[in-house]
Amino acid sequence: MDGKLVERARRELAGAEPQEILRWALERFQRIALSFSGAEDVVLVDMAVRIRPDVAVFSLDTGRLHPETYRFLERVREHYGIALEVLFPDAAEVEALVRERGLYSFYREGHKACCAVRKVAPLRRRLAGLDAWVTGQRRDQSPTRAAVPVVELDAAFSQPDRPLVKVNPLAEWSSAQVWAYIRAHDVPYNALHARGYVSIGCEPCTRPVLPHQHEREGRWWWEDAREKECGLHAGNLAANG
Amino acid sequence: MARVTMVKKVLADGRPCRKCAEVEARLRGEGLWSRIHRVVVADERDPEGEGWRLARRHGIATAPFFLVEDGDGTVRVYTAYLRLLREVLRPAAAVSALDLLEAHPELDFV
Ligand code: SF4
Repeated sequence: MDGKLVERARRELAGAEPQEILRWALERFQRIALSFSGAEDVVLVDMAVRIRPDVAVFSLDTGRLHPETYRFLERVREHYGIALEVLFPDAAEVEALVRERGLYSFYREGHKACCAVRKVAPLRRRLAGLDAWVTGQRRDQSPTRAAVPVVELDAAFSQPDRPLVKVNPLAEWSSAQVWAYIRAHDVPYNALHARGYVSIGCEPCTRPVLPHQHEREGRWWWEDAREKECGLHAGNLAANG
Repeated sequence: MARVTMVKKVLADGRPCRKCAEVEARLRGEGLWSRIHRVVVADERDPEGEGWRLARRHGIATAPFFLVEDGDGTVRVYTAYLRLLREVLRPAAAVSALDLLEAHPELDFV
């Protein structure tokens, strides 16, 4: 599938419900898998097994998840009778990371080195054999996701000779719609939600957020956005001079 | 072979900017430092210096950046280390997961 087809799919699926988007994706791609983070993206698992009971679902076990999340992953596996694949990072890479930087390097040096080893590398390995994957990204999760489309060519993981399609069926749904679905269909959910966690990631890097705070504010909160880019604007000079 | 110029920023207190230091460390760590033919500094204490002039001429707003001059005199500008790596320094090699994350901050959703 190339960029033009993605464009067409986006037009066709404009305003469609997540179930229709999922059905489109699961019927169109054989080599497709759903990425499940252990949070409220469980609604996608619920929707997908109704369409394709043997749908491939995977989760990334960074080794740093909350105990509640591990229990929840198991509960989802049992509840839906799916062969949930749990992906682990490369043991030698984690050992090297911890040996060289310690167990909490992210608080001092930023999260990227740790996330690269524990999340991105195993994810890339899994995605290498796929034509499409499904994520639970939503536009209302953070200002940086405000433009997440329902279907896109994956800019990070596509290969020049092998495009990878990313499907985001919940892109246009709000958190309230997700929770209405969870209640209406009696979908199991992570116990951390009842303790104020909106976004659920790794235990050391996630904290509950206040009402009306963006989910993203509950992650890597110690990192200063201003440090992330080094400007060459004249304004830098004025500010520093 | 293309000639690569790195433009890096030095802060008013004489330290290199954090991002520039990081990129330089990675180039050295990956054995690619010798592929950088020239380093030009944009020093906050010298706003008329060559680094700042190059940034203005090419309309670049972030440091570091790279100018790649081909044999025929055309100059390409790279602000993303990953793209420089992929297209100029090591086109055939696999990109590391960290480079991927650096180039795609939107992967934070994972
Ligand atoms: S979220 Fe934190 S603990 Fe988890 S992989 Fe990223 S930096 Fe490491």
